Amino acid sequence: MIRLLRVRGQSLTPQIEDGDFVLALKLPIFFSIQAGELIVFRKAPYGVLIKQVEHVDEQGRVFWVRGNHPDSIDSRTFGVVRAWEVLGKVVARFSKS
Amino acid sequence: MIYQIFDWIDRRLPLRRAKAHCDIPCGIYDPITAQIAALTVVRIIDLMKDLEGREAVSKLDYHNSMSRYIAIKEEHAEKAKQEIRIIWGDYIKPQHLEKYPNLHEVVHKIMGLGSKVRQTTDRQIAEQFVEAINEFAQIFWETKGIATKRAKAPYAPSLELVYPVLE
Repeated sequence: MIRLLRVRGQSLTPQIEDGDFVLALKLPIFFSIQAGELIVFRKAPYGVLIKQVEHVDEQGRVFWVRGNHPDSIDSRTFGVVRAWEVLGKVVARFSKS
Repeated sequence: MIYQIFDWIDRRLPLRRAKAHCDIPCGIYDPITAQIAALTVVRIIDLMKDLEGREAVSKLDYHNSMSRYIAIKEEHAEKAKQEIRIIWGDYIKPQHLEKYPNLHEVVHKIMGLGSKVRQTTDRQIAEQFVEAINEFAQIFWETKGIATKRAKAPYAPSLELVYPVLE
């Protein structure tokens, strides 16, 4: 499954800027997420978020995420992200500049 | 090119949003508040000098107006410094510093001039304060890939400010 999304907010700046487009990919098999990658996930009550993976558990099913901004809403706020909440990992970014 | 195509699609068939938000309304950074505060300092120095030259004003009124001018000058010099500190601390990242290695120096200059304009009524120093913040604004907008222009502020003291050129 591949999704095209538009990013809103600046917690990932300058890596990802407000208004950028990203392609997020999720495959049923042979799909792994590593620390340092960007993922798009659904997290109640925040909705669909995009953050950088800081740490992955041994099974690769639980992720700790963070933004670049000190006030970013991330795992410090809502805890871990589970594999079933992940909509995909970012495989391409399209920026205005 | 691809961005423009996606943007065109998004305006007609809005795509899903992926939020990269913070727990405060972050991302609202704009050096214009610091620029206006610095401009206010220059304006207040002009008003102070104008008041000093007036003869037909009572001692009481003179002290009343002068003390208000001084208070405003203090407040706006500090406000300009604070706004720059916020952008510097919250927005500026190591990547920006790699590209603009003189950025710390510019900020330090602003801090020094911001203190100096509180200590004196030297218009030249106040103008340097405005210019140093312009220099910061120019870099700030460049980090966002936004072009800038210089134009005279449409109010006294009509000094040049750096403005973003927005679509």
